Amino acid sequence: MIPVLSREFLGILRSPRALAALLAAAVAFSLLVLARWPAGGIVDLSGAGSRGAFLVFAAAILGGVLLLVPAFPASSIVRERNQGTLLLLFNSPISAVGIYAGKFLGVLAFAGLVLCTTLPAAAAVYAMGGVDPWQQIGLLYAVLVVVAILSIAIGLLVSTRATSPDAAVRVTYGLVFAVAFLTLAPHALTRGTTGLSATIAEWLRRLSPLPVVMHLVGQGGAVGGGLLEKDAGVWQFIVGGLGLAAVLAVATILQLDHRLFDRSRDAGTITDDQSLWVRIVRRLVFLVDPQRRKAGIPVFLNPIMVKEFRTRRFGRFHWLLRLAAGCAVVSLLMTLAATNGTMDWGVETIGGLLVILQIGLVVLLTPSLAAGLIASERERGGWTLLQSTTLSGWRIASGKLASVAWTMLLVLAATLPGYLVMTTIKPTMWNQVMLALVSVLLAVAMTLALSAAIGAFHTRTAAATVTVYVVLMILYLGPLVVWAFRGDPFGEQVVRGALSITPLGAALSVIGMPGFTQYELIPIAWRISGTICVASLIVYALQVWRLLRPE
Amino acid sequence: MNAPADPVLDIRNLTKKFGEFTALDHLTLSLRRGQILGFIGPNGAGKTTTIKILVGAMRPTSGAATIAGADCVRDARRIKRLVGFMPDSFGAYDNMRVREYLDFFGAAFGIPRGARAKRIDEVLETTGSGWMQDRYVEALSHGMKQRIGVARTLLHDPEMLILDEPANGLDPQARIEMRDLLLKLAGMGKTLIVTSHILPELSRICDVVAIITQGKLRAFGTLDQIMRDLRQKRTFEVQLCGPAQVETAAAAVREALEPGEREGVSAHATESLVRFDTARSDTELAAILAALVGRRIDVSQFREIPKDLEDAFLSVTRREAPAA
Repeated sequence: MIPVLSREFLGILRSPRALAALLAAAVAFSLLVLARWPAGGIVDLSGAGSRGAFLVFAAAILGGVLLLVPAFPASSIVRERNQGTLLLLFNSPISAVGIYAGKFLGVLAFAGLVLCTTLPAAAAVYAMGGVDPWQQIGLLYAVLVVVAILSIAIGLLVSTRATSPDAAVRVTYGLVFAVAFLTLAPHALTRGTTGLSATIAEWLRRLSPLPVVMHLVGQGGAVGGGLLEKDAGVWQFIVGGLGLAAVLAVATILQLDHRLFDRSRDAGTITDDQSLWVRIVRRLVFLVDPQRRKAGIPVFLNPIMVKEFRTRRFGRFHWLLRLAAGCAVVSLLMTLAATNGTMDWGVETIGGLLVILQIGLVVLLTPSLAAGLIASERERGGWTLLQSTTLSGWRIASGKLASVAWTMLLVLAATLPGYLVMTTIKPTMWNQVMLALVSVLLAVAMTLALSAAIGAFHTRTAAATVTVYVVLMILYLGPLVVWAFRGDPFGEQVVRGALSITPLGAALSVIGMPGFTQYELIPIAWRISGTICVASLIVYALQVWRLLRPE
Repeated sequence: MNAPADPVLDIRNLTKKFGEFTALDHLTLSLRRGQILGFIGPNGAGKTTTIKILVGAMRPTSGAATIAGADCVRDARRIKRLVGFMPDSFGAYDNMRVREYLDFFGAAFGIPRGARAKRIDEVLETTGSGWMQDRYVEALSHGMKQRIGVARTLLHDPEMLILDEPANGLDPQARIEMRDLLLKLAGMGKTLIVTSHILPELSRICDVVAIITQGKLRAFGTLDQIMRDLRQKRTFEVQLCGPAQVETAAAAVREALEPGEREGVSAHATESLVRFDTARSDTELAAILAALVGRRIDVSQFREIPKDLEDAFLSVTRREAPAA
């Protein structure tokens, strides 16, 4: 176990990105506390300033752990398997438990290091007074350690099942964020009701660290109109989180043997060679059957775009059609729910939820598709081949962007029926809907351009995906966190400034989502996102040009 | 259209420096249409640098290279049409079948759809890969991938093929098939540059060989020419009937050779033989044999050790090693 642990830990520490993350964490947390430090070093007796600093500190540190930790375990096992070193480990005297423990503790040690960088900031918060060192700061760290353990357990389990590091990273982040955020949704929908569904929703909510952290910082009632209540059980979360991590660990260890390598290569069955019955069934199930013999790429289409649609690991065409169909159904159901009046949300709230659904899809899907546009080619040797063809840099760059842009437009178009029903119910909302849709389109353009630009500077898809997700989460969730704490500690100007960074705030404001109506964010938010988009596209184009030109 | 005797590849004083380090030092060579050039050298010798310059992926510090009259730096776009390049890494895409893979690269070279389908059939036929057209590329074995790699380079019907380590990692059967394929391509009039570490394979197919070390061209010509150059010193073995006379025989050989050649004499008691390198003529060698027999040494064989490309390569690289 020790050799695996030391290799894993040192391997992470030797990565320049890990070092940068540690330094960034240390600097960011220090700056956060400094920003809230009382003027002249005089603390108010009520302790409000200290609690405000603690709130910001806790939110930032939770975000840091959720964003930084999952990337390392997610790629840990799958990368070793692909490089062939996992087989060497299996043939050594180290048992599966030893391999797992070594990897687990190696990443946990790094997470511990990240948490250690925040200790001076925590000490400063304590020094300001008004915050209990054990009941608040101590328990916060205990919760964060559990979050890290749970993230590592999820990442390692995904890593044993995945076939590529970038797929593992995507799935791990998806699951970690699902545990952190999606587990709150059922409780929000069943609040005030009783019965089995309400009980299940309550138990699901206990898996999320958000209510616990907010409770510890004294904001149990804030954020989401009662989503986070004062009775959030800190110890229930700790015990539940550790229990879930233990179950995941056992599931992972049981898979850590030679069966991981006992997977045959799919030679590829062709639908055209199957019986008529099979062909009919597959046509109904797939709509666009990936196993059909394809016609040649038409001259009028960009071959790079077609190639991306056919080959990318995530978001192949038949899956996108299913996703689009799913989105259409969800948006219609949401609107119908409002129409039937079973939920007294109002058309504006439904519109806001549609906007959140759309931008959520944009933020979740776009990096998966766009971050690896260039990185995957460089990682797998495809870039050298593209260089040797007569394709121009413009065709390569635009073809790759177009493959993601069309995909996202397809997904967004599927959510439009919801808006149509909305405007039928309340025709006066037509202008609002149009402005919201422009904001959503800007969100697509900005997210796509930013993802492509950041990803183009990486040589590994997994690293590119992680970096893009971290940047986008900060960009999109950061302003919402600031908005959630509007009034205390953030003032009106700060909240308005934060919401202007992305088109999300503008879309929610213009659609009339409760809580956002008082902010005039158009056209400033459009200008900012437009500028980010153009700047990112220029950077992306320059990087493609630089990579294509002779050394 | 160039006449067959015109050089298709013409490299003049090609030099590439990375800061203080000289990766390629005034490389000069030329190649005629339909010839196969074996480009050999140890790791880091400058082979890949040369190839990158030829395919337009790198700019030389000085010197020039032309392929069929097109300058590798100034006419980069034309070069891409003239050259089919197979790098040492395959460059597979996920979820792509062989035919789709070739169709994509055909489209990338701007071949119209109808002509492309026909061309794909042709290159699959040439490389003997038609049966794997519906297979996923990533599921192919290494040997199959190499065939598809060659098929990909042929799609736009280039004049010259540059193949980086095409036989690397292939089993003996696949290696023989690859060798036959390369000969077939040369027979079709393609000019080939092939790098390889498997020198016996190269010696069987190459018309000309270039040996490069530390960025400098050390030997260039047909295999016979290179051998003749190296044969200034030939290696001989004196096989004795038993080990008892090995030292006596070695002493006799040393006496007969010039002082500068005496260090090259080695006695091998376990094999009952004496080995030596010499530049002496056949008449002088006959005198050495006569001297041995005159001393009543029981010689069972007196033979010259034939040299191959591997010996030539080692001879050149060892000669340059002290300078490294």
